[in-house]
Amino acid sequence: MKDDNRFSKSKNPIYSRRNVIFIVIAFLLLSLFYILPTPDGLSHDGKIMLGILLMAAVLWITEPIPLAVAGLLIMIIQPLLGVIPADDVFSSFGNQAVFFLIGAFILASALEKHNLHRRIALKFLSYFEKSPRIFTLGIMSSCAFLSFVMPEHGVAALFLPIVASILIAMKVIPKQSNFGKISMLCVAYGCSIGSLGTLVGGARNPLTIGFLSNLDPPILVNFFDWIKYSMPIVLITLPLVWLILQVSFPIEIKDITSAKKEINNQVTLTGKMRRKELSVLIILLFTITLWIFFSSYQYFGLAVIAILASVLLFLSGCISWKDVEQRVPWGIILLYGGAITLGIGMQKTGAGAWLAHLIFDTIGINLYLAILIMIVFTILLTNVMSNIGAVAILLPIGLAIATEIPGISPLLASMIIALSGGLAFMLVIATPGNAITYSSGYYSTRDLFKAGVFANIICIAIIFVVAVFYWIGVLHI
Amino acid sequence: MFNNILIPVSSEYYSKEVLKRGVFLAQKFKSKITLIYIIEEKTLKQADKLSDVYRTHYEIAETKKEIIKKHQITADSIIFEDAKIFFKNKGIFLQEKIIEGEYSTVVKNEVNKQKYDLILMGFEKECFLNYRLLDTVDIPIWIESGGDNNSILAVCSNLAPNKQVPIISVELAETFGWKLEMIYIVDITDSVEVDEKGIRSDKKPEKLLISKGQRFIEEMKKKGIKARLVKGSLERETTKAAETINANLVIIGRQRKKEKILGLPMKSIKKRIAEQCDYSILFIN
Repeated sequence: MKDDNRFSKSKNPIYSRRNVIFIVIAFLLLSLFYILPTPDGLSHDGKIMLGILLMAAVLWITEPIPLAVAGLLIMIIQPLLGVIPADDVFSSFGNQAVFFLIGAFILASALEKHNLHRRIALKFLSYFEKSPRIFTLGIMSSCAFLSFVMPEHGVAALFLPIVASILIAMKVIPKQSNFGKISMLCVAYGCSIGSLGTLVGGARNPLTIGFLSNLDPPILVNFFDWIKYSMPIVLITLPLVWLILQVSFPIEIKDITSAKKEINNQVTLTGKMRRKELSVLIILLFTITLWIFFSSYQYFGLAVIAILASVLLFLSGCISWKDVEQRVPWGIILLYGGAITLGIGMQKTGAGAWLAHLIFDTIGINLYLAILIMIVFTILLTNVMSNIGAVAILLPIGLAIATEIPGISPLLASMIIALSGGLAFMLVIATPGNAITYSSGYYSTRDLFKAGVFANIICIAIIFVVAVFYWIGVLHI
Repeated sequence: MFNNILIPVSSEYYSKEVLKRGVFLAQKFKSKITLIYIIEEKTLKQADKLSDVYRTHYEIAETKKEIIKKHQITADSIIFEDAKIFFKNKGIFLQEKIIEGEYSTVVKNEVNKQKYDLILMGFEKECFLNYRLLDTVDIPIWIESGGDNNSILAVCSNLAPNKQVPIISVELAETFGWKLEMIYIVDITDSVEVDEKGIRSDKKPEKLLISKGQRFIEEMKKKGIKARLVKGSLERETTKAAETINANLVIIGRQRKKEKILGLPMKSIKKRIAEQCDYSILFIN
């Protein structure tokens, strides 16, 4: 900035009546379900639960109130309407997955505080400086890799300034350069794809294992199990989506010298690794090792390891409570609470089973068709609402479907929904990663949609093939 | 005619064509140029809102700061750098500003603060750019699409004030040395008349609109301007005529939108013409 006086901020608050309208619609739907006659095969509580599910869908899709507040509302409305006792609702917070989430967020905040995530990102990127095409593959792989160890949205926020600085140094004109478009889309898609890989990448993953552990009998999935199930999808999807981007936006840039220079500049700026940064790295590696080898329930479990890592970070002075307050999004825990109680309510009242029965009475019972429908529907829903919201709404239905269709286990249905739920490629509003990278100005909504449609179609095929041949065929889940 | 030109560039869309046209106009009219780079508030707010539950306010603020910083650097190192090559090196007066806000509001505020004769902007249909601007400012708006033909199509119609169109068209054709053609479109899909203040009348019989159009053509002929009468929709006939003469610039009076029914927005012909065409458009009152 040559002259700071040139920068000013206009005052233009954006008001909207839409929020009030959607809140009214949500409550009207619930009231309608409350007063309507109960259909055959469904209990009165089940009917109200379906109303709560619809209300949740409206609130989570249109977001007239924060997602976390909608989560709280869903929790309290169940005991208020007498569907589930308050004790049952709040006991779901005792779930391991909640504390795993808290621990994982504290670990991620230590990475962010000491800029270790930036160092890892730059190191990774520096291996891909051969050509512009390879460089974009580097961006995508680096984002995916980092999303294995920290939440995807944090990774998108980290990569935005790194990639933007490189593009500025290369004098890439926003929206006009295909290289600029691909680079930013690689950040958005890389984060989404990477977030499928481990339980840390997206909050919907711990939510899924939380749902499964609440089943009767419980299904227990540890850190390594999740990697075993999800990694083939990550490894197939990443290069294919990258190829789609290359075909959709042929790169016009041939010289990568200024990008190399900028990465070197940024590496120089990060300086030598400091003691506390090293401590965070050691704790991170230690935690991942424990998660991979000792997170089964006969050993320590996921949450104990995550909280152990948090305690170690405090004891080593790497993080303070102020950092936790600044960087741990407590709202997601409340959203989690709403989502998990929604699942418990749907299961206990028989609403999920009734809904699944209704769906498959209409379309018939076919294993492959059911898998395909679950994938397509989840991908469509996750593109118009928050990922975790889409997974929270569809998981209870998916688990009920598992009881109706021979060949679909609750674990299979959950994995299909959880992993499809992370693949929101088409719209800016689909995921914060898309919105963050879109705000850089390097691609248009049309570019995102164009690439996203093809990428999502490929993803549907990949998940279907993996579900049929790997999950059912090899792992027999 | 255009002594003071405002060029608003949105963080959503930047095209060098706008700067090239700015130079062309500034050299013809000895104009001063004000270039403002607008960091789109709407985009930033959307990113904030979506991140709300996943990231803390501290982190969201950090990211927002980074995004704004990158936009400022983009403006400095790419757009203002280009502007320096285009304007300053040619001795054209240039003022630069960076403003965060909503495009139309920022431009409107700027026009209220300082006297401008023309707004020169680019456009792209697939971004969040709001064309409310076309309805809310009174000075001429030039939407640049590039192209290097040498012909002007002046469009008058029953849906827009027509007084200024012939005057400005003739002056621009003479200044640029471009060929001028004029059409008067009687829009039969919206059979009202718009007066010079932009007020829409009640529905009028088609015959009356055609006879008024013919009178307008006669007046133009007396002034030595070649003009013809066309019946059809303003949007379609404008596009057709522009394609026929391979127009580089279409000068058109600002049509007034139909009243809203039950609060639902009516189609904006201005916006649709701007989005569909391959030529530049100058909207005037």
